[in-house]
Amino acid sequence: MRALIAALVLGCTMLITPLALADAPPEPDTAASETEKDAAEERATQFVGVEGPEAESISGGALLLVAYAVVWVLLFLFLMRVRGLQRQTAEELERLSAEIQAPKDR
Amino acid sequence: MKSTRQSGSSTVWSLLLFATLALFAATLYAIFVVAPVEQQMGIVQKIFYFHVPSAYAMYIGFGVSALGSAVYLLKRDPKWDALGVAGAEVGALFCLIVLLTGPLWARKAWGVWWTWDPRLTTTLLAGMIFAAYLSLRSMGNAGEVEKRFAAGLALFGLVDLPLIHYSVQRWRGVHPTVITGKGGGLESEMYWALGLSFVAFTGLAALLIWARASVERQREEATRLRFELMHR
Repeated sequence: MRALIAALVLGCTMLITPLALADAPPEPDTAASETEKDAAEERATQFVGVEGPEAESISGGALLLVAYAVVWVLLFLFLMRVRGLQRQTAEELERLSAEIQAPKDR
Repeated sequence: MKSTRQSGSSTVWSLLLFATLALFAATLYAIFVVAPVEQQMGIVQKIFYFHVPSAYAMYIGFGVSALGSAVYLLKRDPKWDALGVAGAEVGALFCLIVLLTGPLWARKAWGVWWTWDPRLTTTLLAGMIFAAYLSLRSMGNAGEVEKRFAAGLALFGLVDLPLIHYSVQRWRGVHPTVITGKGGGLESEMYWALGLSFVAFTGLAALLIWARASVERQREEATRLRFELMHR
């Protein structure tokens, strides 16, 4: 019997205590505790994806620099290609002309 | 006679080269010193001064390629074919510049690198048509059939050029249209910078087409000599 009473008291205590604690209103004590609470609330508690232009901020200066670099690099590569073709063709022309001239000289 | 003509064209080439270099120096000064920073977009708007003239140089390149191809189909003269190849290569170079610098601006202005806007799509299409032309011409020594087919492809690519230009007026899109007949889209200093850049890019496109066509004519000559050696 004593054990049954003890079990009931324990059960009630376990049931009521969390409810009592949950119902207890927060104490608006001082400004310091308020600031502490705000700071805690400001902390990120989740990550939400943002779509569109606000997704991230890219430096306009960096993009401008890359764009101008692209222009100059591509122009340089094109000029190098034309120069290479010119050299190769000039050498081939010289060789072919020599081959054509060779039997005539004999 | 031939050497006098070569010397004359060399002088014109040098003059054009120095004029273009001087124009580029003036253009850079106008872009970064004279033209103000745009209110909404900030410094990234300065991409516009190279992006738009590059698109214009692309039109020149592809237009010259189509012209060379059309005359080649009529006359079968290799020098026009050389002009067609040179125009296609230079046009493709500037098309690549447009397609790479545009997204760099768009990322800041629109928040995306690419969107299937009519102008962007038709520009990409032109680039792909002339890339096909160049692929066809780069497969070894192009024969008569390949040359004629490529010439037809260049003429087909020409049809796309007005589509690029008028796409912003005909279809809905996000691409800006600040240069219009109505005016008022740019501040006067911005107009100066853009105008100088247009002239500089015209000179550059002319120089590059000239140089590339000259090399292509030499290659034609080498092909002719090889043929002569084989058949004698």
